[in-house]
Amino acid sequence: MIKKCLTIVLGIVALLGAGWGKLSAQEGQSNTPVVHVDVNLVLLNVAVTDAKGRYIVGLKPADFAVVEDGVPQKLATFGEGNAPQRPVDDPALNDKGDKAEGGSGQPASADAPGSPLAGANVFILFDTSNYMYRGFALAQDAIAEFARSLDNPERVAFYSYSRDLFRGATLTSDRSQVLKGVRSTTAGDNPALYNALLLTLKDAGQYPGRKVVVVFSNGPDTASMVAPEDISELAQSEGIPIYVISTKEARQDEVSSTVFRRMTVATGGEVYFAKNWKNQQAAFAAIRDDVGHLYALSYYPHSNPNRGWRSIKVSLVGPAAKKYHIRTRSGYRPKVSHVGNSAQGQ
Amino acid sequence: MNFRLPLLTIALAASFVSAGAASATVKPRVVKTNLLTSVAGQARDAAPAAQTSGQIAIPGPLRSFMRMAGLSQKALPEEVLPLLSEVVAVRGYALGRPTEFLALLTRYLHQASELVALAGAQGVIHVSNCQDAQPLLDILGYRLQNPCGPDTAVQTADPDRAFLTIDSGFPLAELEESLRSNKPFVLPFQPSPVPVLFTPGDWNALVGNPQNSDLINTLLLNPPISHLYSALSRMDSETRTALARSPGLPKLLRFASVLDFYGDHLSIRSGQVLVPGGTAAEPAWKELVGANPQSPDEFVLHLLSKDAGWLAAYFDALTTTSPAQQAYFTEPNRLKRFYEALRGSDPLPGAAKGVFRPDPGLVLLTSRLEFDANGQPHVPGDLALWKEIFRLNPDSKRTRLWARRAQRWTEPDQVVEGLIAISREAISESAFQTYLVLCDLDRSRPPQDRLTPQTAHLLAEKFSRFGDQYSIFSEFSTLNNDSITDYMTTALALDRIVLPSVRGNAIGIFQANLGLWQILVRQGEIPKANLNASWRQVIGPFSHMASAVDLFDAGSASMRELWRAATGRTDLTEDEVISLLAGPVQNTKEGQQVRENLASKIQAVISAQRLVSLDTLLTLGNGLNEMAQGKANGDSLLPLAAELREFEMPRPIFTASEKFEFQYGRSDTSHTTLQTRVNVATIIKSGNKEELAAARGRLAPFLRDTLVGLNYAYYQPPGAQMLLNNAIFVRSHDYSERTATEGTQPWKTPELINMGVTVGGGTHLAGSLADLPYALALVEQDFIVPEHVQSLIWQDLVPSLLTNAVVPRWWNVSQNELHAVALYQRCGEALLNSSAGNEELRQRTMEILSKRISPQRAERIERALSSGQADEAIRDVVPAETFFLAATFYAKYPNDVDRMGAEGKELDGLVHLHSDEVSLERLSRDFGVSHPALAHSYALELMNNSFFPTFRDYSSRLLGESWESNNLYWARLADELGYPAVALNRLVPELTRRMIEKLFASTLEDWPAISRAMQETGEEFRGGKISTISRVRADSRP
Repeated sequence: MIKKCLTIVLGIVALLGAGWGKLSAQEGQSNTPVVHVDVNLVLLNVAVTDAKGRYIVGLKPADFAVVEDGVPQKLATFGEGNAPQRPVDDPALNDKGDKAEGGSGQPASADAPGSPLAGANVFILFDTSNYMYRGFALAQDAIAEFARSLDNPERVAFYSYSRDLFRGATLTSDRSQVLKGVRSTTAGDNPALYNALLLTLKDAGQYPGRKVVVVFSNGPDTASMVAPEDISELAQSEGIPIYVISTKEARQDEVSSTVFRRMTVATGGEVYFAKNWKNQQAAFAAIRDDVGHLYALSYYPHSNPNRGWRSIKVSLVGPAAKKYHIRTRSGYRPKVSHVGNSAQGQ
Repeated sequence: MNFRLPLLTIALAASFVSAGAASATVKPRVVKTNLLTSVAGQARDAAPAAQTSGQIAIPGPLRSFMRMAGLSQKALPEEVLPLLSEVVAVRGYALGRPTEFLALLTRYLHQASELVALAGAQGVIHVSNCQDAQPLLDILGYRLQNPCGPDTAVQTADPDRAFLTIDSGFPLAELEESLRSNKPFVLPFQPSPVPVLFTPGDWNALVGNPQNSDLINTLLLNPPISHLYSALSRMDSETRTALARSPGLPKLLRFASVLDFYGDHLSIRSGQVLVPGGTAAEPAWKELVGANPQSPDEFVLHLLSKDAGWLAAYFDALTTTSPAQQAYFTEPNRLKRFYEALRGSDPLPGAAKGVFRPDPGLVLLTSRLEFDANGQPHVPGDLALWKEIFRLNPDSKRTRLWARRAQRWTEPDQVVEGLIAISREAISESAFQTYLVLCDLDRSRPPQDRLTPQTAHLLAEKFSRFGDQYSIFSEFSTLNNDSITDYMTTALALDRIVLPSVRGNAIGIFQANLGLWQILVRQGEIPKANLNASWRQVIGPFSHMASAVDLFDAGSASMRELWRAATGRTDLTEDEVISLLAGPVQNTKEGQQVRENLASKIQAVISAQRLVSLDTLLTLGNGLNEMAQGKANGDSLLPLAAELREFEMPRPIFTASEKFEFQYGRSDTSHTTLQTRVNVATIIKSGNKEELAAARGRLAPFLRDTLVGLNYAYYQPPGAQMLLNNAIFVRSHDYSERTATEGTQPWKTPELINMGVTVGGGTHLAGSLADLPYALALVEQDFIVPEHVQSLIWQDLVPSLLTNAVVPRWWNVSQNELHAVALYQRCGEALLNSSAGNEELRQRTMEILSKRISPQRAERIERALSSGQADEAIRDVVPAETFFLAATFYAKYPNDVDRMGAEGKELDGLVHLHSDEVSLERLSRDFGVSHPALAHSYALELMNNSFFPTFRDYSSRLLGESWESNNLYWARLADELGYPAVALNRLVPELTRRMIEKLFASTLEDWPAISRAMQETGEEFRGGKISTISRVRADSRP
């Protein structure tokens, strides 16, 4: 992964340099606390749809504007759907002949060829808690169908959870391993969805490239330690959209349905509430379609002293701006590491 | 600690809920396993559980049956029925009705029988092609989704059957693949033979049908038979055979649950029952039981049948005590008198009611009782104190009776009698618990330094509020009566602070500073000679406080005294503080690397929790003070004040009104909310001297969080997911009086609040910092990913294992000491090897081992040694036992070191050359485990107890604390692989975490599963297969 490290010597350094107080006078330069803010290339998965919800293809880098904390950013790379990301100055990207006229995009055709998830790393997380008992076999069928439907180029990991996470199949392009993982799941005890999501996101974060997490959940979380806010922030900071497929029972649980809606929106994913297992399969198909039509934008943030939450706003410029809707993550929190002279003797 | 019971887990995770178990703190943890997990390489440490003489066939593969029955896939065939009977007895019924677990298991057996029939005489399910699959799919509950071909797949047709198919681990993916490729599907599917204790007819006869009944059904449908099967399976063969002969299974069946709880240590040898206290105590037991131990059938029946199991519980408790304790308790007069006290006027509720044994107090009291030089039981303080304590605790009919009797007490025996009587009551906060705790305070103090009557009175009087804090006095026995009194006086003063927020912050800072003191003393960074002085200097500043400003000043001053005690300086930066906590200064490269690594882990938590640095707080505090006195201007303070504002709550998912509407958990967020509103910059800009003078008080909440955060960071369990990912975990630590036990919360062991409450912002702790390592481990255990899908992880056991991987540090351990630990274990094994060919030595060896293992296991080991199979015997002994064996043998027979082979000679040489360095006391202090539940102390110690079974209020926490093998074993590995002792500071947490991932157990008392997981981890480590550990190695070796 391309990485920039911005060392930001924050206000405290200036303060100490000015000779304030006892601390600086006694400790001198060697004890100056230095805070590093590590900012990776910020990757955005952006879905663009029209008023009918159809995906818009053929947009160019110039059609997008990205603003972080109010500061316009310069795109570094750009990619659409299955196409590899390229530097924005790559002439191939600006060749207007291959797609929509004028670079303002057009609705995708329904029978677009190719794998919609090509190149993506897909992490499937399956609720095997006791809530799933009655519909367990049907849900397992739906997930098996989803795993089978993924074409070969993408890699898939299959995890299940109840109170604990279980890694049924680590990230692999071998579909039979994934199917074995799916078919070997069995019902467990209380659901701890957010705990499981945390561990899944951390696993996913270790891999480069596009990643998505697809959660199949029956709803209420009764055993997690971490909060959904923690998960939402982590997913946004890692740039990993979360998709949730849930059931009508979950929809009736206002807390869960609220979290699912807002968490997926914040991360750039979507939630689907399925009435029955056939609808679940349709939801999986919708996710495949969605991920296959995402634009991948990236940028190196301009120098930014903000160590807290950084908001991101992506918009379209030109004629596209009025016609289409955008869905992507709303911000991220940079990793802050403290580098001092620890453990160097007393 | 009280945690909610788990919800009924519908599938394999059947609940432990049962009548009478409502107060139990157990969380059976079941996730599922991959069917294809090989059963090859099964652990060998759990040797055959029973002498068998018959066998039965279980339909289908054993792995599927064990999966449905919730048994570890690593259990051996001969263990299947004993374990099945145990899980049925424990999980099969709730309130007298079969659980869903039992229903599923029964339905699975039907399905498996159908599959066996399909497999035919050849015992192979054979589907030649896709078109022939329907009969199999019908049984499995599936149909074809598409016509046969590359796109075909199976689809659920009958969800109930399909669930069994999935749950039992049928290889559905392989079947689908065969159907798609139109290749034959072949699966051996035969009945699995498993050995039976006695004969199937013996058991089926108990239901009146010796010929035709199915033993599995007999066990599933008859809980008393399951209890009896389980009980007899855990006995040695001589005892079991004698009991089966007479009184026989039908008579024993009436008392099966009593025998199941209290029969493990029953031992019949040469036609008589071995009783606690030995031959000398036989007449007393004969009188008490009403039968002669030399008539085992009559004696055992009387023992089991009397007083709803209480006499059996009494007998069992005394069986596991030391010879001195047995001699005391079985003195004829006491034996009878104490039992009458236990029984009282009403034996109900009985001793075998519920899922857990109901009287942990009896076992703790009898096994922990100490005697003064005059042979009398130790009574902390004086007799008058205990009269008073009993008088003040009359909360039940039983305690009221003993409150009256106590007023006539004249000797310590009577105190013990009274304690035995009230042991049947819940023990928390009672006179009983007070006695146990104060005894533990005195235990390691020399007679002249024991609690004075005045101190004991003070501690007892305030026990209900401050009792959980007393463990620090048990751990540091050099803290004298004055230091203890100072603590109590200060704590009481803090409790009197009127304003709740100031009181909470004051208690938090006070506890956090003493928590850091505790760490620095343990690590040897505060000299022992300075213990009392430093303690009082750290406490002193808190003695007079009236406002938040006072609190900030007192907290800062106390902190500076702490740094002074450890380093001689008071002006440490936060980085230096973190280095100090990471460990003492190291002179070797590997030591420095390990220390830096630990420091970076502490720093990572402080950063993740977004805590304001001590440097900022102190500088800001000084600056505000100077501004208030007109000595400085505030421009340079403004950036520091801005840091307070950098703290951000996580981006909210819910609106404020939604939170109000949805929140149903207990939570007090006023502390964090107030922090987000603090704006010191405005005050600085205002220049108002009064406001500036008061502004330091606004820093106190931040100071509390950073100091509490340092405690959290130090005790971070391996992984530390909550600490690294929930940014408000530390700030949410709740010192208010509102969310936990009413009115006592800030001084109690912490409770977990908001677990599973989606709107609550995450789990947090409410209470004090006492038992913090355990509480943090309790949180972390849910983030450990089991290697096996179906792995029973205990609510109380895993945190105990994690705690004992985090609390000990090995900065001051020498290579000689490390080597001695390894040598003692190897000597124990050498002794077992030598014993295999030498009957006289075998007797000596077994005499030692028998003191701490069950009769059944002793018999098994002796049998293996007698038949020359030393390796088998060694596999049945855990590291703490080989260590104990060698240490005891060496102490008892110092001239026989050659019996322990070359290792014995090497050990002897080491002991002679470095007697202090490798003394047993030091090894115990450095490689023992903490026993906060058992001994009310975090001091490390090898107690050499036998394994504790499950008890009400403790679940498997006592088992966890009686498991003392881990660190001994890790140390041996480190020594044998050439690691320096300091590397243990990194190795032990990692190895322990890995071991927990491997836990694959069947029951709450499945200690062989712990041993198996530990050994497997060790083998991985030796093979270099643990990547994180490899890095440790690279880092810690030149």
